[in-house]
Amino acid sequence: MEKKQPYILVVDDDPDILEGILTILETQLYRLATARDGKKCMEMIAQEIPDLLILDLLMPRMDGWGVIREMRSEPRCANVPILVLTTVIEDASRRRYELETGMMMDIQDYVQKPPRPEDLLRRVEKLLTK
Amino acid sequence: MNASHTSIITDRLRQSEIFGDLSDLDLIAIASFCHEETFQEGETILTEDAPADRLLVVERGKLALEKKVQLGRHSTPRNATVGYVGPGKMAGFSTLTSPHIYSTSVVCVEPTRVISVDGAALRSYLRFHPEAGLQVMNALAALVADRYRSAINTLTYFLSIVSHELRSPLAAIENYLNTMLGGFAGEISPKQQRMLQRSILRVTDLRALIGDVVDLARMRPEQIQADFEWFDPGEVGTESIEDARLAAAEKQISIKVEPPPRFEPVVGARRRMRQVFTNLLNNAIKFAPPNSTVHFRAWYEPDVLVFEVEDEGSGIPPEDISHLFKDFFRASNVGDAPGMGLGLSIAHKIVEAHNGQILVKSPVNEDNLTGTRFTIRIPRNLKTPEMHRREWLAEETEDEVIVRG
Repeated sequence: MEKKQPYILVVDDDPDILEGILTILETQLYRLATARDGKKCMEMIAQEIPDLLILDLLMPRMDGWGVIREMRSEPRCANVPILVLTTVIEDASRRRYELETGMMMDIQDYVQKPPRPEDLLRRVEKLLTK
Repeated sequence: MNASHTSIITDRLRQSEIFGDLSDLDLIAIASFCHEETFQEGETILTEDAPADRLLVVERGKLALEKKVQLGRHSTPRNATVGYVGPGKMAGFSTLTSPHIYSTSVVCVEPTRVISVDGAALRSYLRFHPEAGLQVMNALAALVADRYRSAINTLTYFLSIVSHELRSPLAAIENYLNTMLGGFAGEISPKQQRMLQRSILRVTDLRALIGDVVDLARMRPEQIQADFEWFDPGEVGTESIEDARLAAAEKQISIKVEPPPRFEPVVGARRRMRQVFTNLLNNAIKFAPPNSTVHFRAWYEPDVLVFEVEDEGSGIPPEDISHLFKDFFRASNVGDAPGMGLGLSIAHKIVEAHNGQILVKSPVNEDNLTGTRFTIRIPRNLKTPEMHRREWLAEETEDEVIVRG
């Protein structure tokens, strides 16, 4: 049986970041979709659960921390791997999440912008094959 | 000054934040060298850096405290408002503290009436009336502490916003450049490749610079210690080399790594330590001649983990060594090398927060007087916040057992 094309949802409010990331990911056989804020992201996840979510944190309407919180409390997508891609430094965002929720931030990878293209592809592939 | 006028001024002084605790006798005496003045919007009343010859107590209206801000030596200085002073509050406290030079300018923002207190007379009165002097100085200390706290809060808040606003567009630019350079957006010619590499280098420098300026405000030891965790120093070292890779390639400098046979985890602020190594490596690369070698060594001693970064550059002038770790300091022989003089002072602050040491030897090579070597020694017995918490808990339980026993 032929292997299914992995479906990746990329969420960022910056259209230039989206285009840059898509340009990198398009070199692989992925099915890609984008959202510009957390609310739109949750709507799209309700329609189809991605194999991987690439998520910015500081966004309008609903921020990335909110998306993580909602996803982790929803059994249908509690296991979707999340790669956070943001300008916020990792320890600061983990601390903020813990302060707001009292829980550890359950994500699978964290990359500070800008990503190195080859490195990003490596990390994405690793999360998809897990 | 007639009696009723004196009593009005005495009354106003009593309601002010600085003279409120004084006795009537003191207030009447001080009122004798005060006079009232009125200012209109836009008037500069006190000037930063000018001799501080009077102190103002606002009766009504509003004054702005302004500081000259100049980034770099060549930009136009601008005035930034650092606070406002309303009724009962005072401006110009530098008149009470040596060297009696105003630390801010004071500008009138709406029609304002003030009591102007003669500085020299006030100082002399307080010198001969120590009790009053002490009270005024206490009020002054509280006031300065308060202004300092609010300045720090404003600065930290402002910087966190500015930092994100500045970093986001840079991240987008850098992301595009990386994507193009990686060939993901089509083939590029060698010339385009070179231009993209240069652009990335310049943008990376700028991003680091923004990070440095923002960091300076967040560099308090307790903030660094809150991030203490177990980490693999080898991994962090590798990341720092990756951070400095492009800058090194640019000058054909090779980084010679001499690691210990095996890295063992230590406690520290992981991201901060990466900053220390990256700053030292970038610093070494910046001052090393093209085609030379930068050495990056690490080894374990019983109580400390030691890192060394050594270059073959022209060394640091002896008279500059003692200033090396100061904010914004740049050695006298740096020439055109870019930078703001924050890298080493940040590294120093981080290492100090680890109870460690940062040492410098320059020149390394006594024969031709070249080379600079930075040595960092980090204790191996540091504790994470979680380890501290457990210790306290254990101690408490122990106390309880003793009490119960």
